[in-house]
Amino acid sequence: MGGKVTCTLGEVKNRADFIVYWGGNPAECHPRHFTKYALIPKGKFVPRGRKDRTMVLVDIRETKSARASDIFLQIKPGKDFEVLTILRALVKNQPVDRTQVSDTGLTMDQLQDMVDRMKRAKFGVFFFGMGLSMTRGKHMNSAAVLTLAAELNAYTKFVAMPMRGHGNVTGADVVMRWQTGYPFGINFSRGYPRFNPGEFSTIDLLVRGDADAALILGADPGATMPQPCIDHLARIPTIVLDPKVTHTSRLAKVHITTAATGISAPGTAYRMDEVPLPLRPALQTSYPTDEQIIRRIYDAVASKPDWMIHSGKMTSAQI
Amino acid sequence: MNIITLRLKEQPAVPLEVEVLSPDVLKNLSHAEICAGSIQLGKRQRRIDDFFEVEGERSDQLEIHGDISRLKWVGRSMTGGRITIHGNVGMHLGAYMQGGSIEVHGNAGDWVGAEMSNGLIHIHGNAGGQIGAGYRGSMKGMQDGAIIVDGSAGLEIGMRMKKGTIVVGGPAKDFAGLDMKGGNIVLLAGAEIRTGAWMMRGTIISLTPIPLLPTFHFSCSYSPVFLRLYANFLSKLGISIPVDPKAGHYHLYSGDTSVPGKGEILIWRPLETGQIPRTTGCTKVDS
Repeated sequence: MGGKVTCTLGEVKNRADFIVYWGGNPAECHPRHFTKYALIPKGKFVPRGRKDRTMVLVDIRETKSARASDIFLQIKPGKDFEVLTILRALVKNQPVDRTQVSDTGLTMDQLQDMVDRMKRAKFGVFFFGMGLSMTRGKHMNSAAVLTLAAELNAYTKFVAMPMRGHGNVTGADVVMRWQTGYPFGINFSRGYPRFNPGEFSTIDLLVRGDADAALILGADPGATMPQPCIDHLARIPTIVLDPKVTHTSRLAKVHITTAATGISAPGTAYRMDEVPLPLRPALQTSYPTDEQIIRRIYDAVASKPDWMIHSGKMTSAQI
Repeated sequence: MNIITLRLKEQPAVPLEVEVLSPDVLKNLSHAEICAGSIQLGKRQRRIDDFFEVEGERSDQLEIHGDISRLKWVGRSMTGGRITIHGNVGMHLGAYMQGGSIEVHGNAGDWVGAEMSNGLIHIHGNAGGQIGAGYRGSMKGMQDGAIIVDGSAGLEIGMRMKKGTIVVGGPAKDFAGLDMKGGNIVLLAGAEIRTGAWMMRGTIISLTPIPLLPTFHFSCSYSPVFLRLYANFLSKLGISIPVDPKAGHYHLYSGDTSVPGKGEILIWRPLETGQIPRTTGCTKVDS
């Protein structure tokens, strides 16, 4: 399995002549994406802008983004992995079972045409959304699109990039990556980072009830996570740091109001292509920033006695 | 016979990592040393006797009683001896195992026998996902040995496995044999979708019809000779698979062409009444 072959949005703007949106609806969810980076702008190697680019939309229903596309491929729900696997086979001129291709909602001609266009492109991009990464198959769907992009580099330049759903999700991934080597699903309980999504990722931890405390930073799991997670968050001491009162704050033991980064606090946000952008506050506030609060919590914890076993037994306060 | 018996006294509130519960570690320890063995409760080190009543000493036979579904890494890297568990057990049971045997009278969590290189694991209940798999970022999963699950199994069983045998009695979930590089998976009750996705080599045998990816194509219908030998091997583990050409034959599907790989999926088709059995050879027929 390959990693992620990717680039910045500046490269997409200046070079990409073949753009695929997979399982996303940028026209409604990322409204500035077309005009600023991907489709409309004129670039150094695509001087005529939209006219020099081909846009393909792959989705299970005809969204508003379909109107902006040159080719719309409507696939059946839950068939993303199958379509990507067929594409991988066709790219290498390998046979596929034609009788099963129609189950994906596409015809063999459509898929072959897609492969020919991908190979002919000078610079291709896959933008994949949560319609791909959060449906049946999950991380394997993402792995399939990333592998397809990596393998297409045997013929032409091709990259892949996730379309993120919330603000600065990329930032969390990037910071965890340069700190630990892993983007998410990390456990520090033995003093060194261990990575195992499915075991240490948030939803799995909470569903199994493996955590006995939670610190929620810049997220609202109470609004988005499955009910068993929310129930467990309500059972354990949950601390929420957020500029506003969220669904999670209502079930938390402690809510600490913070300054809103980018509005009343400075900071750094990572764009979806992992380019860091400095944020300058426009307003003043009396609330502390996330960083100030975390530092104070850290200092308070550091001043507590060590929990390691000395002299064979721990004191009851340490347990 | 000298046996070390552990009885769980209280459920830990958070997962307990007990890689020390392995015959390799315990076989030369006295009772007091076993009691003082260090286990990891969340971020804290605790003693074995904080959670277990310990009986016996100096043995490579280990018996654990109680619901230890919160306990991870039982039998990690063991090279010999025997662990018997009466109750459910948590993740990473027998991971990196190099020999010996583990028997579980109950259910097991994910990552049973992950990256094991030899030995036998028998789960009498259900197991989770990633049985005999390779850990994230690792290129190879289990390299030899056998894992038998009487009940059902979860996602991605045998992911990137290189050699060895996995037998699942109940239904398996998606992505059985994902990215498989060798070895055998026997599915006695079939699997959900995407079986054998991205497989390079190896064999998946299913006794019930299973949905296949479009990148697998029908090769032939036959009674493989190797399967009679393999059935002998499986019968020693208490598993029987049909090999009598008079009763039916196997449909061979090759793939996954997206890799492109040389994996095989064999699906058992019993003979319908009135159908003439083929005695030998392989016949290419249209599916």
